Amino acid sequence: MTVAFAELRERADRRWRELNDSAWVRVGGGVSGEAAGCDEVIDAFNSELASVDVSSTVSRVGMYGLCYAEPLVDIKTPGGPRVWYANVTPEQVPGLVEKHVKGGQPVGAQAFAYESAGEGQVLQGVAKFQDLPDVAAQTRIATRNFGHIDPQDLLQYIANGGYAGLEKALDGMAPDQVLDEVKGSGLRGRGGAAFPTGLKWSFLSGNPAPVKYVLCNCEEGDPGAFNDKAILESDPHTLLEGLILAGYATGATKGFIFIRQGHDEPINAARKAVADAYEAGLLGENILGSEFSYDAEVVLTGDSYVAGEETALMEAIEGKRSQPRYRPPFPAQAGLWQKPSNINNVKSLSYVPQIIARGGEWFKTVGTEKSSGTALVCLTGDIVRPGLFEIPMGLTIRQVLEDIGGGAPGAKKIKVLQTGGPLGGVLGEEAFDTEIDFDAMSAAGAILGSGGIIVGDEDVNVVDLTRALVAFNQFESCGKCFPCRLGTTHMLETLDRVCMNKAYEEDFALMDRIGSSMKVGSLCGHGQLGYNPILSAVKFFKDEFDACIAEHAGPVGAFPDGSMITPSRTRP
Amino acid sequence: MADPIKLTIDGQEIEAQPGQTIIQAAMDSGTYIPYLCYMPKMKPYGACRMCVVETESNGRTMTQASCTTPVAPDMVVRTKTGDIQELRRGIIDLLMTEHPHGCLTCHRIELCGPQDVCLRHVRVTDRCTICPKNERCELKDTVRSMELDLTNPMEYHFRDLPRHVDDPFYDRDYNLCIVCARCVRVCEEVRFDTALTLVSRSGTALVGTSHGTSLLESGCEFCGACVDVCPTGALVERDYKWDKADTQVTTICSNCPVGCQVITEVNKRNKAIRFRGDLAGEANNGQLCFKGKFASDYPNKKGRFRYPLVKIDSELKRTTWALALESAAENLKKFSPDQIAIIASPRGTNEDNYVAGKLARVALGTNNIDSALNLNPELTEGLLPSTGYGAATNSIWELENSRCVMVIGGNPTEEQNVLAVPVKKAARDGADIVVIDARETELTRYCKDGLWLRPKPGTEVTLVGGILRAVMDEALEDKEFVNTRVDGLQDIKQELWSFDLVRVAQITGIEEDQIRAAARAYGSAESAAILYGADTILAEEKTDLALAVANLALVTGNIGRAGGGIYPLFGGANTQGSNDVGANPRFLPGYVSVQDESARAQLSKEWGARIPDQAGLSITEMVAAMADGTIKAAIVMADGIAPDQPGLEGLQAALDRLDFLLVSDDFPGELSHFADVILPSAAFTEIDGTFTNLERRVQLLRRGMTLNYEERPGWAALAALGRAMGASGFEFDTAADVFAEIASIVPSYAGISHDRLESGGIQWPCADSEASGTAILHGEPDEAFRPRMTPMSIRELLDVRDSEYPFTLAHGRVLHVPDHPVDVENRDGMNYISRDSYVHLHPNDASSAGISDGEMVELRSKPDQDGNTVTFIGYAKLESPHPGLISVTTLFGEVASAMQDSDDPDPAPRVRGLPLMAVSLTKVSVPAGVA
Repeated sequence: MTVAFAELRERADRRWRELNDSAWVRVGGGVSGEAAGCDEVIDAFNSELASVDVSSTVSRVGMYGLCYAEPLVDIKTPGGPRVWYANVTPEQVPGLVEKHVKGGQPVGAQAFAYESAGEGQVLQGVAKFQDLPDVAAQTRIATRNFGHIDPQDLLQYIANGGYAGLEKALDGMAPDQVLDEVKGSGLRGRGGAAFPTGLKWSFLSGNPAPVKYVLCNCEEGDPGAFNDKAILESDPHTLLEGLILAGYATGATKGFIFIRQGHDEPINAARKAVADAYEAGLLGENILGSEFSYDAEVVLTGDSYVAGEETALMEAIEGKRSQPRYRPPFPAQAGLWQKPSNINNVKSLSYVPQIIARGGEWFKTVGTEKSSGTALVCLTGDIVRPGLFEIPMGLTIRQVLEDIGGGAPGAKKIKVLQTGGPLGGVLGEEAFDTEIDFDAMSAAGAILGSGGIIVGDEDVNVVDLTRALVAFNQFESCGKCFPCRLGTTHMLETLDRVCMNKAYEEDFALMDRIGSSMKVGSLCGHGQLGYNPILSAVKFFKDEFDACIAEHAGPVGAFPDGSMITPSRTRP
Repeated sequence: MADPIKLTIDGQEIEAQPGQTIIQAAMDSGTYIPYLCYMPKMKPYGACRMCVVETESNGRTMTQASCTTPVAPDMVVRTKTGDIQELRRGIIDLLMTEHPHGCLTCHRIELCGPQDVCLRHVRVTDRCTICPKNERCELKDTVRSMELDLTNPMEYHFRDLPRHVDDPFYDRDYNLCIVCARCVRVCEEVRFDTALTLVSRSGTALVGTSHGTSLLESGCEFCGACVDVCPTGALVERDYKWDKADTQVTTICSNCPVGCQVITEVNKRNKAIRFRGDLAGEANNGQLCFKGKFASDYPNKKGRFRYPLVKIDSELKRTTWALALESAAENLKKFSPDQIAIIASPRGTNEDNYVAGKLARVALGTNNIDSALNLNPELTEGLLPSTGYGAATNSIWELENSRCVMVIGGNPTEEQNVLAVPVKKAARDGADIVVIDARETELTRYCKDGLWLRPKPGTEVTLVGGILRAVMDEALEDKEFVNTRVDGLQDIKQELWSFDLVRVAQITGIEEDQIRAAARAYGSAESAAILYGADTILAEEKTDLALAVANLALVTGNIGRAGGGIYPLFGGANTQGSNDVGANPRFLPGYVSVQDESARAQLSKEWGARIPDQAGLSITEMVAAMADGTIKAAIVMADGIAPDQPGLEGLQAALDRLDFLLVSDDFPGELSHFADVILPSAAFTEIDGTFTNLERRVQLLRRGMTLNYEERPGWAALAALGRAMGASGFEFDTAADVFAEIASIVPSYAGISHDRLESGGIQWPCADSEASGTAILHGEPDEAFRPRMTPMSIRELLDVRDSEYPFTLAHGRVLHVPDHPVDVENRDGMNYISRDSYVHLHPNDASSAGISDGEMVELRSKPDQDGNTVTFIGYAKLESPHPGLISVTTLFGEVASAMQDSDDPDPAPRVRGLPLMAVSLTKVSVPAGVA
């Protein structure tokens, strides 16, 4: 271990001991915690504890992922079990402080789950945290620190094994060995295309240019997806460590973390992480005393979905209108500022520290043969337990919906899923037994993509849902390629007619024609996949569309009077 | 050149250059691939997807855009498969839902006229026949090639946006826009102005202005490049908007020495209706400027001189050519040779100038001949001792590859507009731009920090000397070049001792560090060019400026190097050519000094007349001599002379004093007012001939309009006058005949002929008909002349302050100032810039005049010889680098508006440059209650 890192490690361990040697109240933060009111709960704890003579710490940790349980609070007193309380309100706080923090007695009646500190420590009538169905089903790699550490605290990250991967790489591994480890892990890009990450890196490492960039894409504009933002909010250093490792393996000189404007919490967390890493010598000249120098910067996009496309992202960083570029030249030849560049998704990079620390072979043991590792699934919509769950690849969709998500509320039937963002299309019940893995999903006609799964129960009108997806795609088209600019507009207008029961059979042939123009005639995935929502919806729910044709009566929920909400910028 | 790549397009085996895209290879081999957003000479964009083709390469079959996909060896390309055509039709169908298309899909389109009743009941607003671009619409050609059905299955939405018809020169109708972004791209990547931009996104993505809603606010330079590339009627020149071209002729613009090749469209009523930059033009690469694009139609204007006129009883009366020439000849014979002068037109062709020079020497016996805009002959002639050639050493478009461009005392963005385009390109590619100028010009905005040097006016040459000294101090000279190719190093080293940087800094007001920074930028660049003009240079310093510039370029090895070189910035479309062919008081054709006895004797023999051995009067001297009565008779070829130009003040009054004046002009004006004989002249669109541009490129003007009256080209009129005076050697039938004689006399033109020029311009020297011309002088060691460095001496600031007008005003002009808001005011349906001006003063000057920051002040210039003054009113800002220097920066848009509104039939020559002016400064007392 290098001297520099040993010193860091020692400080980190000391910090971790201090936290655990007193009462520690951890409140789940992140956007989901914030929305549920975690800040009020934290304030309540702080004011309550100020008047109590107990050594204690209140931390705003990241989200654990159990969004339905937010604000999720866990309290651990020295020697006692760690006890979670779900949906905590500020009114509950005085009682919790009085009994648990001060008195060391967990409030069993209010507890959600617990984790014993040692053998034989049992909390009667309370579930073990690890036995919760949605926790038990998870294998947490990228999200391993979620809910455990304060994301703002570099030392807590290091105390939990953070930057050990980087240290290992810099202290004895050649860049090529790091690259081989990633190749050997079978890691595939989590941005949607599922391209092998190691192979992608080798394009960049093979380029001898003196200035090269690694870009991390956290544009994440898909409705229903929040796992990239969650990583930045809840454990930004795992991403940053991955970004530095990517730079080391590929010989890049600088990394950019690209975040969409308006995502304030991830932006602030990433900026703090970068600043702290510079201060600790984990970024900048001669990282950890090695020969390796590397910079990182957080950059923001404008308000544009297409800015998440890799070349549009580069245009955005260069200060231009975020429109995709044509390829070739590919980013690995001429990317950002015409320098060789590599773009990786937040999730892909966040696996890397563990892959290096524990080895690529270990990573391969998780997941399926062709899709190693885990999937970060964001469950939202008509589901009992919405949240962010890191599951091993290979579970079926149904397992996720039922075992983790707990099915639709009110014992309704789940009818439709929207996966992989608005370009991913919809899935009907026939596809629920598909395994979650890149190849099986694409064979079923769905994209795993960003990992967002929006659940719709039997009351959802698929025609309307499809129109909403197409409306999103239309609104977010950058307007460059003619087929996408005009095609999405016409598709939306046609779907408007469908919703108003004014469509004809020919309209479907027309949309099909537009869709194929877009597929062949667009520079980026936005246009190429823009027809997916309609194609997949018609595949699974043809009867609902048929019912909308002019002569037939529309299904419940259509808008014969045209009163649906259409984005305002359809046409000039 | 690398080995060509073999590939197959539609079954035809072709060869393409490595790096070419499929569409370029296809076009070169004559295969048409439809396209809309692609534009030759611009970067591909890949948006319209019309140019998609099926490619088969390395066993993979793909559908790719041919504008972005490079050719690969053994690639098989299919451009018209069923799928591809279907895709294209799909895209056109989509486009047609936003673009009026009643006629586009109609089979009767060729039969239909604008007034016809439409059998298909297509609304008037949906018809092509009412579109200004109807006859020249690229979209129409592309759509028609697709053979669409009459009906479109998709709903049609006319955008119904208001048209922008209130900016100068061209209209914007975004109802017709297809968002191919060619205009945005040409503005950004070719012109570097970014006045246009894409706005909004998805279905509402459209083109708009980058700032505000008017082009005047957004920093447009009105070059018209966007209009030239627009494939639809969205951007159209306002004049002759709906006019249809009958013929198109490629000729050369007559407004400045860049020599832009233009395509002139002439309608069936013999009017030149449109001017487009020719992509094949070597000097301009398809670009034009506001003058060339929007003010070249002057030959059409009413009020032209159509017949010769003779003044009888102080009234001009129509007469015949024979009588007019007889009258002129008789009158001219009354004067002795040194009482006569010829002023040649800045738009005169080489042929005109040659005959004028010959007429002066052979028929009139005088060397008093000069071109009207040859106002700073020192800039070119000053190079003769250094480089041996009185011309720029390198070519215009090499500048785009320069790593450093130094601009001294010139404003190429306005005066030689297209020359600035490659300079801006170099700047965009990271080259250092160094500007030495007290004025803020467009190019100063391209300078990196500290590289805009604003010396005290009048010390520019000393500053260049200081830079040379710093180059030597820092050992940035090209030792090998200097040792092997150049003479005179020791001489200048001696002299440079006096250029102590402390002293230079004191004289010029530029800090030592800044001088060194400029020296490093210039001296350490792989290739560095200098553009130098005389706008801010004192008359006494002009020759030294040329020497200093040449020394700097020689010592750094930038002579003979691609991307290096020196470029004098002068005015007049053919000032270079007029000097080359001897319309010059000091030189006979081919830069033979009139004092060179043997050469004079040789030419005397060829011309059959004795040539006077005394140097004649320069244009400036002629004006003085006319004013004091030494010159009593003159021939003025007045086309393109604006008597209110800086440098020509007093010309008008001087002409009034002449006993006899012959004027050849297009229009009645200040100069012809005093004429005794007027000869109607043919304008540049009506003649054949040649211009030589500032990169020594001899280019062919081709007649596009017919002469229906009695106008004659200059050479023909002067030759006829020569014959009328009884001189021999004036028997020319065509301009080509004249040129042949030029080629036989001027060695550097020897290999050039009108025939050869048909296929493109040739840069002199071109010794014989096999030679291809010379892009870079001294590229190879020149046996005829070895470059030489000539010492120059340091000078203290010459104090020429006028007690009444003690300040020097440096009036600058730029396209756009981001932090200085602009408003647009609409008057009578036209937009005009309206904004507060700032007057930048030195705090010392302000305090002695009792002016504090933000107060309103007035500047009044010293009246010129014609009694004209200029005034400026603005708010004082206490930031000027030197006491005594006041600067004001106005916007270029005001020039565009003024030209648009001008009543003058030929407004381009009247666009005023930006000379330094002596001004007085007074505080304006604002009446109470007015903010």
